Amino acid sequence: MSELLRRLLRTRQGALGLVLLAPVALAVVLGPALAPHDPDAISFTTRLTPPSLRYWLGTDEFGRDLLSRILVGARASVPMALGATLLGTLSGAVLGTLSAYLGGRADEAIMRTIDAVMAIPALLLALLVLSTLGGGAEDATLAIAIAFAPGMARITRSVALAARQQDYVASAIARGEGGTWIVFREMGPNVIAPVVVESTIRVAFAVMLVATLSFLGLGAQPPAPEWGLMIAEGREYLHQAPWMIIAPGAAIAITAIGFNLLGDGLRDALNPRVDR
Amino acid sequence: MTPVLAVEDYRLEYASGGKLLRALDDVSLEIGPGEVLGLVGESGSGKTSLAAAIMRLLPANAREGGGPIRLKGENLRALGGRRLRDVRGRRIAMVFQDPATALNPTLTLGRQVSEVLESHRGLSPKEARAEAIAMLGHVEISDPEALFSRYPHEASGGEKQRVVIATAFACHPDLVLLDEPTTALDVLTGARILDLFRRLRAEIGMAGLYISHDLALVSQIADRVAVIRGGRILEEQPAASVFRAPKHPYTRLLAEAVPRSDRRLTKDEAGEESLIALDAVSVRYGRRGLFRSRTTVGAEGVSFAVHEREILGVMGESGSGKSSLARALAGLVPFGGQIRFSGRTIAEPGEMDRAYRRAVQIVFQNPDSSLNPRQRVREILARPLRLFGGDVAQIPRLLEEVRLLPGHAARFPHQLSGGEKQRVAIARAFAARPRFVICDEITASLDVSVAASVIELLLALRAAHGTAYLFITHDLNRLVEIAHRVAVMRSGRLVDLCPVTSLGGDQAHPYTRQLIAASSPSVSQ
Repeated sequence: MSELLRRLLRTRQGALGLVLLAPVALAVVLGPALAPHDPDAISFTTRLTPPSLRYWLGTDEFGRDLLSRILVGARASVPMALGATLLGTLSGAVLGTLSAYLGGRADEAIMRTIDAVMAIPALLLALLVLSTLGGGAEDATLAIAIAFAPGMARITRSVALAARQQDYVASAIARGEGGTWIVFREMGPNVIAPVVVESTIRVAFAVMLVATLSFLGLGAQPPAPEWGLMIAEGREYLHQAPWMIIAPGAAIAITAIGFNLLGDGLRDALNPRVDR
Repeated sequence: MTPVLAVEDYRLEYASGGKLLRALDDVSLEIGPGEVLGLVGESGSGKTSLAAAIMRLLPANAREGGGPIRLKGENLRALGGRRLRDVRGRRIAMVFQDPATALNPTLTLGRQVSEVLESHRGLSPKEARAEAIAMLGHVEISDPEALFSRYPHEASGGEKQRVVIATAFACHPDLVLLDEPTTALDVLTGARILDLFRRLRAEIGMAGLYISHDLALVSQIADRVAVIRGGRILEEQPAASVFRAPKHPYTRLLAEAVPRSDRRLTKDEAGEESLIALDAVSVRYGRRGLFRSRTTVGAEGVSFAVHEREILGVMGESGSGKSSLARALAGLVPFGGQIRFSGRTIAEPGEMDRAYRRAVQIVFQNPDSSLNPRQRVREILARPLRLFGGDVAQIPRLLEEVRLLPGHAARFPHQLSGGEKQRVAIARAFAARPRFVICDEITASLDVSVAASVIELLLALRAAHGTAYLFITHDLNRLVEIAHRVAVMRSGRLVDLCPVTSLGGDQAHPYTRQLIAASSPSVSQ
């Protein structure tokens, strides 16, 4: 693990990604302790205050401090988006690799099912799952994961099909290895690169999807300081108080760019062919 | 008289990670009119870099130095843009190693020839078409009209290489560069391509640079042979004498490594009792569709037995079913018929138990594909050891047995050379302490001298462990050196099976005779 971190830090994107994600991680871990104000404290005298020394990022329509809300909200938004992406990409990746390994009819069955699921737009599918499950943060995470899995399975399968043709898989079959070993140990490491890159791009989508679900009233509920919800609330005051959208938007952007760069770095760090 | 090509003290380096890697070191050579110079070297010797330098196809990180490269007195290094395009294709043509990648898959074969004629000789589309068909006929394509409108995937490897040659010769270039033009083809096709090349040369009389790692092949084709190693030309000799009187020790090594039909490397005889037997084994590919099933035959009704400690050679062209048999024996494809092994009868891969999987091992042709690029040598070897009751502590001994260093255990496959990788693959097979090892063209992707050392290793391992081999190859001379018996396959069927001593005797199948005639004649003859 420490070797992976060392290799990651040697790649330029990986190091930059870690630098961007460090404050995000800090907010997730220590958010409430760092917040200068109570994120839910309503104050009518300071409604829609522009960024100032007292309120670094300004306040919203109820006079709540935006910086505090973002710091506290990181705990709601980031782990949820990350969890949904990890769950979705991992299950999709395993499904795709398995499908490529099995081949023949099993492959057909899995892929046609996935095609059918992919015909439904991701947001609609997430809504469907969420309304079936009930609502709330855990269910929203699961809904996004299910919406992400089919696309991931498709991407992984195309890479895994190439790996399936390689003689090291034939060699594993010839010495009597089981399917689990072949999928996870022989093919898995060789399909990881596109999976890592794709999943880091999807973290940003997940943040937006969480926001959309919250906006539709199915994810986090007001007055929760969820980033997406904050953007949704700020829309009405776009002309009077643009900082209400800019602040949480920037937080989402930094998170998304950070994960993207981290993904590029991880791809190189995980590839033994890239030295240094 | 000015030489067609003159290279004087040419140097080439590649910039890589802040360092300069020397690829060519003060290379000087000359090719006179109508002369073919053979350039022999192993992979990494710089022979392909030289071809790229002459063709002016160097990558962006190349740094040149030293003297000029002159084509009929004109310095190619000073040319650029339009004038260079005029030289490429029209005055210098190139025949690449693999016709499958040298041709554009989205253009018809005929179009690829006529395009050259239109752009370099200024013919009208109609004239170019007629000329292209004439050219295709000239390279001995049986129905040039029909081939003209076919796409590369609809033609055989031999036909494709003929099209590449037709394209190269279409504008009567001053110089033709041939970069291992027969390596990607099988024996019979390769021999026919060489015949064609000899004939064209005699007719057109152009100069050529023939690049190969096979000294025996080059000495048949070329007038003079230059031996290159590490970017330096070690010696240059007339082709007739390079084999008989190599001056440089390295050339002697290369000559020694060429397989010869007049020497025998296996000294002992095979055992009497049968180790593993195939009984009417068939392999079919393709899958059953919903409405119709399309299958192609890989192998059909093949029966033979391999004896204890025997080396059974299997030979045939590509597509003859050699590899299908290997895959059936290794349990990689479903098969018809039966395999008999140590008193058991096996009718499908599912019946192969651990004892069988352990006793029968396979080594594949290409170690780049057979070794997992994300695993270190240690992990690659540890798995079969654990699976078959060995001890991970044996890895250093295992590496030593295949003449690698214990330090190689920590490397990834891409940090090893081709020969080293194949040794790791062999070590993996022997980690299971097998009784029977299938060697599927294991030397085909290696240089001649490396291949010779891998063969030597296999024989040493056999001497130590008494292993039997199924040795699949298309190199007849190699089989004559090591095999006890030879099986000849064609279109999935076994056409001949005889002791190596009576190979090509009175009862031999006509096809076997054809193969013998096509294999490069032994050096001493």
